[in-house]
Amino acid sequence: MIAVFLRELRSYYFSPIGYIFMGFFLLLAGFFFATDNVLRSNPQFQGVLSSIIFVFLVIVPILTMRLFADEKRQRTDQLLLTVPVSVTGIVLGKYFAAVAVFLFTLLVTVLYPVTMSFFGRLPGWEILGGYVGFFLLGCTFIAVGMLMSSLTDNQVISAVSTFAALLLMWIIDFVQNGVPAGTVPGIVFASCLGALVVLWVYLATRNLIISTAMLVLLATLIVVAVFSLEGFYETFIIDFLAWFSLTSRFQRFMGGVLALSPIVYYVSFSTVLVFLTVRVIERNRWT
Amino acid sequence: MITVEGVSKRYGQHLAVDDISFRVDAGEVVGFLGPNGAGKSTTMNIITGYLSATAGSVSVDGFDVLEDPDQVKRRVGYLPELPPLYLDMTVREYLRFVARLKKADRSTVVQQQERILELAGIGHVRNRLIKNLSKGYRQRVGLAQALVGSPRVLILDEPTIGLDPHQIIEIRNLIRELGHEHTIILSSHILPEVSAVCDRVIIINRGKLVASDTTENLGKRLHDNSEFRLRVAGSEAAALAALTGVAGVNEVSAQGTVEQGTVDLRVETAAGADPRRAIFHALSEADLPIYLMTAMDYTLEEIFLQLTTQDAAGGAAPESGDNGSGGAPDAPDAPDVGGSDA
Repeated sequence: MIAVFLRELRSYYFSPIGYIFMGFFLLLAGFFFATDNVLRSNPQFQGVLSSIIFVFLVIVPILTMRLFADEKRQRTDQLLLTVPVSVTGIVLGKYFAAVAVFLFTLLVTVLYPVTMSFFGRLPGWEILGGYVGFFLLGCTFIAVGMLMSSLTDNQVISAVSTFAALLLMWIIDFVQNGVPAGTVPGIVFASCLGALVVLWVYLATRNLIISTAMLVLLATLIVVAVFSLEGFYETFIIDFLAWFSLTSRFQRFMGGVLALSPIVYYVSFSTVLVFLTVRVIERNRWT
Repeated sequence: MITVEGVSKRYGQHLAVDDISFRVDAGEVVGFLGPNGAGKSTTMNIITGYLSATAGSVSVDGFDVLEDPDQVKRRVGYLPELPPLYLDMTVREYLRFVARLKKADRSTVVQQQERILELAGIGHVRNRLIKNLSKGYRQRVGLAQALVGSPRVLILDEPTIGLDPHQIIEIRNLIRELGHEHTIILSSHILPEVSAVCDRVIIINRGKLVASDTTENLGKRLHDNSEFRLRVAGSEAAALAALTGVAGVNEVSAQGTVEQGTVDLRVETAAGADPRRAIFHALSEADLPIYLMTAMDYTLEEIFLQLTTQDAAGGAAPESGDNGSGGAPDAPDAPDVGGSDA
């Protein structure tokens, strides 16, 4: 894992990718710092981080697009998968390398609040919270990008699909207000989800018995929920979408609150994505 | 050392490898031969654990590739068809990275690296970026990569592809040298390479194992009736007339004229007979001087073509051992393997 980590880190800084990522990020951070903080004499630096999120959607794909796509294209995955290193080790090594580049870039921006602190009192906890939240958010974005990269051998497809996935998660906050609320739409939506899960199980296993059992189980759960959980379906669609809203959790950090639940949310979200990446790589051996 | 048992690999509807079994003993150098798309690379990928077989099992040194992948991978050095090189690294950095991946013993890494650089003949390019190396040198770096960690088994997929003739000879010599301390499987569609380097040949075609034997034994198996090629100065009719009825000659056929005023003949002899003296006297009596008389020894090419085309045509399996009576098909005239394979 350490060998993969070091090589990956090295390749970020021996190729333009690391510099493009850092340069772009720091350029925009500087721009927002100038307009939000310097010109307005505003000490709320976490606002700058919040503004960068949108740009971050665009530059995370740059950071993650080649992680696995390039290995597959260059056939170097044949080396990685035939040496005594576990797939988990390879995936984690690459993930932490991308996270390290991101963390390093983020630490450079600490210069801004430090500079400001010479000229007045800063909302220290809010800024710290903003940093922690932004770091966790970034780690999750990177995990999304890595998963996308493992699904293709084309860097462009990897980058575009990462951008699309992140954009979807970002706009969830806006579309949430527009989705239909109410019991009937909730039940319909839950049934559609259940049908998709069953279809996926069937396509994965090609086993009618397991699929049917799954169908019966999910149908029972949906029906039971109608009677036992009052109000469950009322806001089901909204609640479901909110699971995938990465940015809404970020807002809590900006208030200077280091709550456990968003931290757990980000960490577990990333863990699931890393695990899925491992599965994708292992599955490739069987096809 | 390596045991492959009933391995099959299916890609969707396409059966790339069909129930292949063989064993490779420690210290053997085995050639893996087959036309393009025969399943050579797939089989090698399965042995190294890069791909998983749809059915069957592979074990190296007693460790199953699925159950103890780490133990297997520690023992195997692999050079895939395309060397897995990171173009943005220098040769030295790359080899050090591979050593770390293979968890090679740190105390001997530097010493070993020097030896590998020297063996592969890439010492003078060690500080160059792999991106800037020619194909031949990249191939050598790939081979060097397989040697890192001194694995007991080397699996080399077309190790001489893309090299110039001089380099091919060098790499062949290197492989022969490595054969003293490693068990080697190498694949190739260049037949002289295999006959030059390997103790044993495994021929596969369309995912099936067609033959597995030493080069000489394979030749004997297909070579019940010896044959001669003759070039005789004179007319075709006269030559044919002179040779009919000579003791020990089964069949004579004219092969056309290559040199002006001569005729080329193919003479098939009865099993065990050596009619060369009789042929000489018969032709001498008819005043037909012999310009050329050579035995038609089967080269690996011909064995290969014969085995693979027979298989493609669904003809008698060579294992039956009875393909002498009908006359072995003339290998050079056999249909193009590549064409029938496509």
